[in-house]
This record gives sequence, C-alpha cells and structure tokens, in this order.
Amino acid sequence: MRRNWMLFCCFGVTACLVRTAIAQEHKESEKASESAATAGLSATNSIPSHDRASPQAFRSSASEDRAARIEGEKRFRTNCGRCHQPPHKFPPRVMATAIRHMRVRAMLTDEDMRLILKYMTQ
Amino acid sequence: MKKTRTFLISADRLRARAGLALLSFALALNPFATPVSAQGVSDEDVKPVPLLQGSVGFITNFTGGQPDLHPIAAPVVLLPIGQRWLFETRATFENDLVQVPGRSGFHGGPVQKEVEYAQIDFIANSYMTVTVGRFLTPFGIFNERLYPAWIRNLQSDPLILPIGIGPSNASTGTMIRGGFKAHPQLNINYTAYFSALSTRSPVDSDRFAGLRAGIFVPSERLEIGGSFQHLLQQERSNLFGFHTIWQPTPLPLDIRGEYAHSRRGSGYWVEPAYKLSQLPFLRNKMRRTQLVARYQQFFAGELPNDALPSVNTKEFEFGVNYYFMDGLKASSNYGRQFSAAGNLNVWTMALTYRFVVPLGPTGSAQ
Repeated sequence: MRRNWMLFCCFGVTACLVRTAIAQEHKESEKASESAATAGLSATNSIPSHDRASPQAFRSSASEDRAARIEGEKRFRTNCGRCHQPPHKFPPRVMATAIRHMRVRAMLTDEDMRLILKYMTQ
Repeated sequence: MKKTRTFLISADRLRARAGLALLSFALALNPFATPVSAQGVSDEDVKPVPLLQGSVGFITNFTGGQPDLHPIAAPVVLLPIGQRWLFETRATFENDLVQVPGRSGFHGGPVQKEVEYAQIDFIANSYMTVTVGRFLTPFGIFNERLYPAWIRNLQSDPLILPIGIGPSNASTGTMIRGGFKAHPQLNINYTAYFSALSTRSPVDSDRFAGLRAGIFVPSERLEIGGSFQHLLQQERSNLFGFHTIWQPTPLPLDIRGEYAHSRRGSGYWVEPAYKLSQLPFLRNKMRRTQLVARYQQFFAGELPNDALPSVNTKEFEFGVNYYFMDGLKASSNYGRQFSAAGNLNVWTMALTYRFVVPLGPTGSAQ
C-alpha cells in the first residue's frame, strides 16, 4: 500500500514537471518566433537606410553583449560562489566542459549556464 | 505450497509494479523528445574538451593528541559526449600515516583506492538530466557539493555526514535532476533517485529511494531545501533533512547549515565563513584570508551505526583559510569535542590544490 502510494506520488511529481516543462517550452518557442518575426520586419524596413542603420545596429548589439557579460559575471558570482571560491577564467573548451559538469552537479538553470559560459569565455 | 504461491503472486505484482514504474518513466521522458531536439543545449557553440581535474591535499590531524598524516588525491575525469551526454568519474587515493609504538616516523598501510562515483549524465532538456550509474547520494548538500578537500571550508567532516548517504557515500542506480527558473526571482532545483543494494565493497550501497528539492533566490543569494529518503531494506525507515546556504550581498560572508534526522541519529551543523576583504589594511593579504567557524551537535539514535558517534556529541571548530592563488589553499583549524565518551581537542592543518588539465586542444571555440 505504502509502495503504491510512493509510486503514485513519484508519478504525480513527474507528470507535474512534464507539464511545467512543456508549458515553458511552448512559451519560449513562441517568444523566439515572435522575436524572429520582429527582427525580420526591422531588417526589411532598414534596407533603404542601410548605411545609417548599421552603426546603430552595431552599437545596440555591442551594448547587448556588454549587458549579457555583466549579467554573466553576476550569475557567475552568485552561482559558483555558493559552494566554492569562484575560479579564474579557463579556455573556452575547458569552460564548456566545466559548465556542463556544474549544470549537472549544481543544477544550474539553462539561462545561468548560457550567461556564465558567455562571461567565462570572453 | 501456499507460501510459494503467495511468493509467486507477490513476485508477479512486483514485476508488474516495476514495469509500471518503467513505463511511467518512459512516458514521462517521451514528451521531452521533441523540445530537446528543437532547443539543444547552450554550450553547443563551443565544443567541450575532456578534462582531468580534481584535487590533491595533505591533511594533518591531531585528534586527542594522536597525530595522523593524511595525503589524498581525488582526480575527476569529465568526458563530454556530443551535446547532451557527460561521463564523469571521481577516484580517491588516500593513506593514513600514524605513529606506531616502538618505531620512529609515520607508517601507513597500502594506499586506499576507491572509485567514489562513475556516472553517465544525459541532459534531456533544460529541466531534466537523467543520471545512471554510481553517483554521490544527494541527501543534504555536504556530500554532493561541499565534500572535495579544495571546496570545504573546514577539513573535518560534519558529524551528521553519514546520515542518508549510504555505506560508501554513494548510490548505485538512477537519478533525475534539474534546475529551472520558476519565477524571475526564484530558481527551483530537484533530485529524485533510486539506489539498489550492492554488497560488493568498496562500491557497496543501500537500497533506498529519495527526493531533494531546493529553492534559490538569486537576489538574496539564499538557498533553502529539504531532503527525504525512504530506506527499502532493514528497518525501512524514513530519513529527512534540511539545508540552507546564505551569502548576504553586502558582506563577504557565507553561512551554511544542515539538519538531518534518522533512526540512527540526528543533528545539525552551522558554518559561517567570513573573508577579510573589507578590512582597510593589508588588503592583498586580507582578501585572501577567510575566518571559519562551525558549531555542530549530534544526538545518538535508537539504532547503532558504525559511522556515527555512539553518544550525544557537541563540537565547536574555528579555523583560518588562506588562498595563495586560484585553487591553492592552506587551512588550519582547532576544535573541541564534548561527549559522554570524553572531551578531546582536534587540530587540523592542510594544504590543498585544485588542478584542471584539459585532455585535448582548448584554444578554438569550434
């Protein structure tokens, strides 16, 4: 009886996780398609004024990159420092392995992993 | 005859339940198949390289006046396979050198070798990783996250460490785990695992199933979680525990703590660690210096356990760590243990080094 109850609980928890995951995946894919559509539209609009738009696009991409790096450093300090002294930067391929290991061990979220990897490999 | 029939029926039922459990697991994983292939993982731009990392250390203990030299090496091999797989294993080579009456110097037996874990991880998607093999039992936080000599703030183990982690600190079986953002200010992490009975030393493990879940608030740098385990052998008891890690944003302070309860004993430990980087003098030295303290208490349970103290025990420890450079640390601490079996002093000095050796070219990003 107790085993059945435990099995039922495990199944319930798994089902909830599956449901949450599917919902979030849908949300993310919708967001991605929306942003792709917006980017496509802005690209089409910017064709006639290409020469003027390029430096702006470059500037905005650089500032986005900088923001991502700052956020990456913040996540790095917050997540890595929870268990150990934050290490120095490693070469990109070393960091890719280490971050995959930490994703499993420290259960980093996908977003944290992406931002930390970006920060640590730049 | 009746008994045999009952056994056969129960065996059939068990098989059916096992089948149902496997089916549930397969069904649970199946919906992830499409999103996994659609999304991919975030390190796909950089090809990971196999790594040999780990730590080496030389730890000197004086427990109740008895010196004990403890050299230890714990290499970890990380072998990424494709975009979603990781094979990881950690071995330990250690020795205890003690003084033998009538002989000069320190003497030890053969080097003790142990594969602490060897596991294959499959990153199913952003929310779930499936692990199979021999893995560190995720009960509480110390065993899985703070155990390596280069990570721990104090070199001695907490008294409650053996609770819930099995006879060799590891489980043999399968585990699902993951972490995801549940809210812009809140991350959730979870682990569910099953371990089978293994009596083959040194890779022995108990038969149990358990869960651990935690909430992490990044803005407050606060993690709170709980563990639950049901032993599927011997007295079939339940074990539970709680853990917390807090790093207040304005201070270079870490506060960690754990509580664990089982029929073989229960207890807690609290460990604050403060880096002196805020002091206005000798800044270069002070930012490398860390003061650590730990207070712990153990309450003996109704059932005996060789790895746990046999009587109620209290212990206070105080130590200093000095980080020479990334990965190289010297630590020294003093502790006083109070118990009905006798009070004693514990001194520890240690030098630990964490290394990372890539087993392939590292420069290119592709």
